[in-house]
Amino acid sequence: MHNDNGIWVSTEDLMQDPNFLQNAEQEFSVENIDQTDGQWSTNRRDFLKLLGFGLGAATVAASCEIPVKKAIPYVTKPADIVPGVANYFASSFVQGGDYCAVLVKTREGRPIKIEGNTLSSVTGGGTSARAQAQVLSLYDTRRIKFAGNVKDAEVHQMNWADLDKEIKSKLAAGGNIRIIANSDMSPTSQRALAEFIAKYPNTIVVRYDQVSSAALIAANNLCFGKSVVPAYHFDKAEVIVSFGADFLGTWISPVEFARAYAQNRKIKGGADNKMSRHYQVESHMSLTGSNADHRILVKPSEQGAAIVALYNAISGNSGGPQLNEKAAEAIKKAAADLKKAGGKSLVVSASNNLMEQIYVNKINDLLGNINTTIEFGNFSNQRQGDERQMARLIEEMNGGQVNVAIVWGANPAFDLPNAAKFKEAFSKVPTRISFNTNVDETTALCNYSAPSHHQLESWGDANPKAGKYSLIQPTIAPLFQTRQAEHSLLEWADSPNLDRNAEQPYYSYLVAHWSTALFPKQTKYSTPSAFWDMSLHDGIFEIPTTEAPVSFNAGISLNPDGVTKPSASELEISFYETVNIGNGQYAHNPWLQEMPDPVNRTVWGNYLSIPLEWDGVNNINGWKDLNDGDNVEVEIAGNKMICTVVRTFGQMRGTVSIALGGGRENGGCGVGYGVNVNPWLPMDGGMIQYYATDVKLKPTGSRDKHFASVQHHHTMGVKAMGKEEKAVINVDEKSLGYKGFQGSLTNRSIIFQTNLNELHKLEEEMEEFHKESKHLNEQTLYPNYSEFFGTGLKWGMYVDLNACIGCGACQIACVSENNVPVVGKKEVARHHEMTWLRIDRYFYGDFENPHVVYQPMMCQHCDNAPCENVCPVNATNHSMEGINQMAYNRCIGTRYCANNCPFKVRRFNWLDYTTADTWPSNEERVFWAEGDDKPYYADDLVRMVLNPDVTVRSRGVIEKCSFCIQRIQEGKLTAKRENRAILDNDVRSACQTACPTGAIVFGNLNNPESEVNKARNNAGAFAYQVLEEINVRPGVEYSAKVRNTNEGNI
Amino acid sequence: MLLKRICWVLLLALLATANSFAAPTKEAGKELFTANCASCHNKNMKDNLTGPALGGVEERWAAFPKKDLYSWIRNSQALVSSGHPRATELWNKWKPVLMSNFPGLTDEQIESTLMYIDDVYKNGNKKPDGPQTGTTEEKKAGSEFPWLFVGMALILGLLAFALMRIIDNLGNVARVQAGDAPIQKTWLDTIYSKGFIAFTVFAVTLIFGYKTVDNATKMGRTQNYQPSQPIKFSHKIHAGDNKIDCQYCHDSARRSKASSIPGSSTCMNCHAAIKKGTISGTSEITKIFASIGFDPIANNYIQGYENWSEKQIEELYKKWIGQEYMSANSLTALDEAGQHAVENQWEGVVKALKDDSNGKIQGPVEWVRIHNLADHAYFNHAQHVSVGKIECQKCHGPIQEMEEVYQYSTLGMGWCITCHRQTEVKFTDNAYYNQYERYHKELKDGARTKVTVADIGGLECQKCHY
Repeated sequence: MHNDNGIWVSTEDLMQDPNFLQNAEQEFSVENIDQTDGQWSTNRRDFLKLLGFGLGAATVAASCEIPVKKAIPYVTKPADIVPGVANYFASSFVQGGDYCAVLVKTREGRPIKIEGNTLSSVTGGGTSARAQAQVLSLYDTRRIKFAGNVKDAEVHQMNWADLDKEIKSKLAAGGNIRIIANSDMSPTSQRALAEFIAKYPNTIVVRYDQVSSAALIAANNLCFGKSVVPAYHFDKAEVIVSFGADFLGTWISPVEFARAYAQNRKIKGGADNKMSRHYQVESHMSLTGSNADHRILVKPSEQGAAIVALYNAISGNSGGPQLNEKAAEAIKKAAADLKKAGGKSLVVSASNNLMEQIYVNKINDLLGNINTTIEFGNFSNQRQGDERQMARLIEEMNGGQVNVAIVWGANPAFDLPNAAKFKEAFSKVPTRISFNTNVDETTALCNYSAPSHHQLESWGDANPKAGKYSLIQPTIAPLFQTRQAEHSLLEWADSPNLDRNAEQPYYSYLVAHWSTALFPKQTKYSTPSAFWDMSLHDGIFEIPTTEAPVSFNAGISLNPDGVTKPSASELEISFYETVNIGNGQYAHNPWLQEMPDPVNRTVWGNYLSIPLEWDGVNNINGWKDLNDGDNVEVEIAGNKMICTVVRTFGQMRGTVSIALGGGRENGGCGVGYGVNVNPWLPMDGGMIQYYATDVKLKPTGSRDKHFASVQHHHTMGVKAMGKEEKAVINVDEKSLGYKGFQGSLTNRSIIFQTNLNELHKLEEEMEEFHKESKHLNEQTLYPNYSEFFGTGLKWGMYVDLNACIGCGACQIACVSENNVPVVGKKEVARHHEMTWLRIDRYFYGDFENPHVVYQPMMCQHCDNAPCENVCPVNATNHSMEGINQMAYNRCIGTRYCANNCPFKVRRFNWLDYTTADTWPSNEERVFWAEGDDKPYYADDLVRMVLNPDVTVRSRGVIEKCSFCIQRIQEGKLTAKRENRAILDNDVRSACQTACPTGAIVFGNLNNPESEVNKARNNAGAFAYQVLEEINVRPGVEYSAKVRNTNEGNI
Repeated sequence: MLLKRICWVLLLALLATANSFAAPTKEAGKELFTANCASCHNKNMKDNLTGPALGGVEERWAAFPKKDLYSWIRNSQALVSSGHPRATELWNKWKPVLMSNFPGLTDEQIESTLMYIDDVYKNGNKKPDGPQTGTTEEKKAGSEFPWLFVGMALILGLLAFALMRIIDNLGNVARVQAGDAPIQKTWLDTIYSKGFIAFTVFAVTLIFGYKTVDNATKMGRTQNYQPSQPIKFSHKIHAGDNKIDCQYCHDSARRSKASSIPGSSTCMNCHAAIKKGTISGTSEITKIFASIGFDPIANNYIQGYENWSEKQIEELYKKWIGQEYMSANSLTALDEAGQHAVENQWEGVVKALKDDSNGKIQGPVEWVRIHNLADHAYFNHAQHVSVGKIECQKCHGPIQEMEEVYQYSTLGMGWCITCHRQTEVKFTDNAYYNQYERYHKELKDGARTKVTVADIGGLECQKCHY
């Protein structure tokens, strides 16, 4: 059914669930405030005790001497460190095949923030949530602190020299050596490996990826003779069809793709606009699917049929497996669009079925996309793995043919579908060595641990795409007695090229490699040292690549029998990678664990998304009447596990889905969250398949006590159907009566959306809306402050909802920049998450296959702010620069402001989350990682990640987005010291710099030339303020969301 | 033709302006001297420091072409190796102290510097900068007991009491005249009267209430805090007597939020040459040597000092202290007082430098922090020093007179606010402030006489709290 009543957030919203309405009316949910852990009962005697203690404590505290503090200078001050001033170092974020060129911000020698490196032509200054969260993993208390023997999942210290001696003797004993690793983009590592292999010729490196692209690479080898991932040019494509490839979120190089993709999605006011058209073929709603113009719903087992159908529609062939009717129709329309685009289109697929990938290649070939939107000159190194090699390795190990196994970054004991078999075979290898930084599932099975540095402590390089090199430089001295993996390999290979007496041996090795291998490739610098210095300064080195036109191998025959057969089973499941924890490799990072999944908005674990069913009249229910948080038993191929359910719009009927990466068993604070679904992944032709059929699902009747979804937290301005009148009203004004109050009959403006072909109509509507809002807002007794704000600076923001893809990089950047605490699953379940910037996800359109709008929502810095008027102590007030200021030390915690905020962006420190001033009784309730002896933030190592320019808030105060006031102050000071006007470059908010698509623009509204003004003017009438009509005068403007849907409206 | 003429005129004009920019001046020289020379050469131009006194330098080089002096300043070692007689003479006298190279200085800049040197040498430092111009308010003015007020209060109290008595007496006179019996009140009656008790209660509540609130506000403030420091460093000697610029040591004050305490390496810029203090002798400066690992006997930095044992360190510096004691007292062997002095001074070094966490002498000096701003208050030195051009003394008091530093100001919020209300922004000097068009207009129209820090947001919460 198509819903004409605008946007919604959930079924509760659509159906006016009384609890939901009550929650939406209040800032904090009542049940959750009262929710007891059995410890909250307070009686009169306790009150008197506390009162007495409070008085006594205050007296004691007042009479105490002020502690003596020390000021310790450097002995010899390094020339480039000025205490209190940040230094930035160009580096790269690399984790397996994930890549991002970054700048690392350090203060007094410790890294505290990641920024994008704008010089890189791959990522162009964009970042991902994963890259942003990298600083936190540096200060992980669970990192292995020294080399040693591993016994019972614990490392027993050995000194490096002894370890080297023992390992060398094992290596020299002969027999096969196997190195198990993920994709590796580093040319210098490859060289180190080559030296190792030269010394021990019976070594083979076995690579696989956490999420496999093996079929893609194999298909390219067959079709084009290139065994690589090609370069995809989403910016050149007018029509994009993706078969399950989440290219904006997780697939191969999402930051690069998102940047290119967004270029064709932005709109302008008062002009004829062009947009690309994007079809996504999938069963569960992925991040990319939620951004698509059309989602074509196919069951996971029908994906092959869908690909063949598209091929048939384009080539005029027939045959192939049967596809559901609706999808078949839609595919035909997509094919027509593709043909019309004439070589300016792109078809991609994340399928791990070889024949399906061959079909996709053929489709692209027929459409003329090869060598235009897909080209091999700029091929990517980001995926190199092939799990078929792992299967061979397991056989070898079982046969006792492997003497030494070295694990390098990979965690096969967790992320392989056949992990159980791997573990069994692995235990038959006499010598097992791990370079991993934590005692993960695989390291726990090893007998030696030779821990490598964290990347922020390492030297290194990366070559993510042909001709694009980038460097990794350390930004802090190693925190523990670790040694870089490459150094260990070279040491064990007795390499003559490793200068063991050098201060940093691998650094010298790296410089030598760049001087010999890369220096000759350029002509700009005449000496290797100048070349090295500039490359290190820029962080990147790029050379033009030669075009490598390819043609489709005519000898390849397409066989529809080779693709997946549609299954007749009642229920199918798909497994997907989320933008936050990947396939578990990021699960030990609490920032990422607490970042909501963009679509189903759950945190801390992986949840089973089930479809919603509409009864055709009034009700929309979860499948089998399941509710959010219910536990179900899922059985696949005889393997049973308990999963927690989350009802998700856009999930196809007859299918469910669950994210990979939950259920880690070892190695960090992600242990105990979610379920490990890897054992469920079937293999087909040796390749891992990310779906399964014949799924049996059985409700258990139990519930997840702390079901943590931020879905209904901080709901604002919800519209719903009036029960009696069947008319749209605003629930937050229900208490005022339906009529008679200003604004109560207006259509609350949160999201504006339309289709490209109706753009002009929307423009007219919005012009009318702006006029009406202006009229309403002028009916006020309050003075107009525009003159007051007209002098000096006035800060403002613009968020382009067409460019926003909901990836969440901004959210983690904000957490990192502003010391926003992690609260843990239990606290999120109680609506207590602290993020200053949340990404609201709204649905509109068809109930069963809705469209999505993402709206980053942070403090709107209203010039007529409702929160300011109600603060009894004036802790929140307005600055002359248009900033809604929050003075934490003045706040007494009445929370009136939060209650009065129409945008629900104020956060209250219910507990002492940052352990800023811990009392032991407080500590029990804040976030503890399992097995820790103190709260997460109480550890001095973790606290090194805090930004020293931002106050760490204590219990009992409200906090919220400050427009990165510390950056504003710093930018203003820079301009003043340089005797000049302030520029856009001086002040950029953390969310703005993190965004891969440039959706967020921040700047001075009083400067007509500023980027933010240009962006707003460019959007014309499409730029609007949320709740523009209620006269709060926000400092943030959004753009209307526009989709380029096919007129047939499939 | 006309075009050509215009070109010529333009060219000439250009040359003229270029010339006027480059002409050497004393003022430019002062800046250059402070930036480049003052770290090694004495500011009074008359005494030697790390490097020789510069006064009369031109006379000493008069026998050679001016060019030679320029090249000496730009690269002294090059001139020495070329065998220049004056250069060789200087090197032999001062080696191993190396003069820094200044290859970037232009002839005009050197000339400016020389003009300034000559001016100071001949006319003295009549207009000293920085340290001397500080306020000279009395040190602990606030702490003196207000005898005057107490006296006044007593007199007024007595007066009030006398007046009450007079009113009573007059009342009685009136009563007698009216034929009523007079009410005889004793002193005690007056004291026990309702009015008096009410007034007393009111007054006591007021005074105690005020004191309570006042003390509560001051809680955690440490005005006049004067802890003893590991090294008896005297700002009076350095900033006062020797007029070393504050920012020579506290060099990050101009560019960072922290003014930062200089590292031992900064001390060594001068103390590699000045190895004994005028007052403390070897006792304090030895601590710097022991911190960084400078061998004052051999005049060099010790290689691998971080691995030295405490015994080795003790041996070296005891030897140095003893040696200096002997030479000061013209002895050939240590007498008993000398041994005592050596032991005492070494103990001082250990006390000042030994790090409790690793038991090492080597490493930084752990100074006691005097100015402790609350964590939720953000203060930036660069804003005040570089942009506001505020003298250090405005907040830190007459630092150039302090043997031991104490906290001069309250560092309370009221104190900050008062200053922000009163301080005028240097509004026209900085292009940053051009954006405040309304204020500029008001200034021009005469509607406004000045723009204070408060006018541009200096009282707003998030100026300092975020």
